[in-house]
Amino acid sequence: MTFTGFIGAACMLPLRAIIAVCVKLKIHPNTLTFIGVLINIAAAWSLALGRYVLAGFVMIVANIFDFIDGKVARERQIESEFGGFWDSVMDRFSDISLFIGLIYLYSTLGRTDYVMITALAMMFAVLTSYTRARAESLVEKCKVGFMERPERIVLFMIGAFTNRMAGVLWVMLVLSILTVADRIYFTYRELERNKPRLPATSGV
Amino acid sequence: MKPTPVNAPLRMIWNALYWTHERATWQYDVMVIAILAFVWLTPPGWLGDPTATGSGPIGWLIHLFK
Repeated sequence: MTFTGFIGAACMLPLRAIIAVCVKLKIHPNTLTFIGVLINIAAAWSLALGRYVLAGFVMIVANIFDFIDGKVARERQIESEFGGFWDSVMDRFSDISLFIGLIYLYSTLGRTDYVMITALAMMFAVLTSYTRARAESLVEKCKVGFMERPERIVLFMIGAFTNRMAGVLWVMLVLSILTVADRIYFTYRELERNKPRLPATSGV
Repeated sequence: MKPTPVNAPLRMIWNALYWTHERATWQYDVMVIAILAFVWLTPPGWLGDPTATGSGPIGWLIHLFK
């Protein structure tokens, strides 16, 4: 088993218990998604105040809700297309909230450079999910690129708990740009590959 | 295409830039370690980190084993 695979498996143990409790209490997955967003807003507020460690803990709680909603829906066999749509819209809301929290913090510190870096990282984070959604309306699957939402969330937590948010923002920015570029390139290639070929004509 | 000594490093760079690997693969682990090394080992002053204080995780480790 790989190092990251082991961490994932270890985190799943307590999450299974939480999922079981939510299923037993018959909590609707869309409610869990919404609670997750509200808690993420609290995390963004903590980031805005520069209280990184508190923000880190709040992010853990928020993302438990975020992670279990789909699993609860499956366990209760109430998966729906609207649930998937609601989840992905709320994910964008949570993502953007965290970035806005940091933008507020850096602007109060008078650091225009980091306001710009955070704003750009936010733009490419949104484009990462947009390019995939748009690509998958044209090609079957577009899952290339490293920097997806789970990676962003874990990076935010690492930045918050270890007080190294600047490094995290640089990583997010560079890898999000690459992810968007990967998705554009992948979609272009797939569309070119599937283009109907004109029959070869002889003569004129 | 079979990697030759000349194109193997180029292919490695291309594979890191054009990322097609799944999570929980050895390539993913290498990328995670590289990211953590950058975040934790880069001196905050180099990046002009507006909020970083203290010696960070590496400093904590050094302090722990002193």
